Amino acid sequence: MNGMWQVGVVRWVSLMLLWVALIGTHSAALLVGAIAAALATWVSLKLLPPDRSGLRLLALMGLLPRFLWQSLKAGWDVARRALDPRLPIAPGFVTFTCPYRGVHARDTFAAISSLLPGTVPCGESEDGLEIHCLDVGQPVVAQLTDEAQRMAHALGEDGHG
Amino acid sequence: MSLLIDAWTVLAVFSGVFFFLAGTVGLLRFPDALTRLHALTKADNLGLGLIVFGLLPQAVDVWMALKLIVIWLLVLIAGAVVSQRVARVARAQESGQ
Amino acid sequence: MADLLLWAAVIVLALTAAGLLRLLRGPGAADRIMAGQLFGTGGAAVLLLLGAGGAYAAIDVALTLALLSAFVSLTFAVYAGRAGTRQALGRGEE
Repeated sequence: MNGMWQVGVVRWVSLMLLWVALIGTHSAALLVGAIAAALATWVSLKLLPPDRSGLRLLALMGLLPRFLWQSLKAGWDVARRALDPRLPIAPGFVTFTCPYRGVHARDTFAAISSLLPGTVPCGESEDGLEIHCLDVGQPVVAQLTDEAQRMAHALGEDGHG
Repeated sequence: MSLLIDAWTVLAVFSGVFFFLAGTVGLLRFPDALTRLHALTKADNLGLGLIVFGLLPQAVDVWMALKLIVIWLLVLIAGAVVSQRVARVARAQESGQ
Repeated sequence: MADLLLWAAVIVLALTAAGLLRLLRGPGAADRIMAGQLFGTGGAAVLLLLGAGGAYAAIDVALTLALLSAFVSLTFAVYAGRAGTRQALGRGEE
């Protein structure tokens, strides 16, 4: 219970800082912000209890430059194909067996993989993540395996998380 | 210096506009819902990101800059979550018809 | 500079409007939700460009639009997903 309070306070303070950054520091706005942040903290503790996820926020932030670069490549890939008069796409599905054990880690990976070039996750089957690809000729599974390895530490999936 | 900053803004903003063009063309040209989803999630999010990147040095104070970044992060996270839900709908739609 | 930002805003607005053709054409729920999502992203971009060009209040509008459109898209997507599942199971609409 103690840990729950601690995490709750940290989350509430973070949300409050976000509120002040967006709205400012008028006293009436602060009151509304305090209530809104409290409600948001309560919901976040319900949806993402502290003990369930091994997310390492700092490590995830460290991966940010790589995400941005991948997002740029992804956008360029789509733009190139969309604007080419021949419309060079070969869409299809690929099943990717996500190496993570944790449910939260898998969900986060799925969300991030929708920003990677050429892949959109569209549900889970017994065999793994169902990925829709813009071009099945690309080495999609190898790319995703590589990304999963890079993210393992940040998502708390490196064995001792 | 301010000329350099303005050049940066124009370059990034119009690169962003280019990706909005690509996104719209993809949304209209791609053959089915799932391929259109690629155009939307990759190109338009990047377009908004580049526009925000370009506008950052034009911000009048640090709060405005922070607000721009928060808006972009919000759209990015929402886009990643929504795209997965839409993908499920699109998939059901295509296998059902 | 403000002129160039205004031009960029006009172009993105036109592109967003063109993308809304998907809303008319469909054919499925997913296509229409995507058109709505484009409206959120494109609209936020237009408002940010206007905001940085001098109409600072537009930035707050962009924030609100981005937030609301995210929830609207998600609600429609979840609802369409459930309706689709019910139809597949042969239970009709309700």
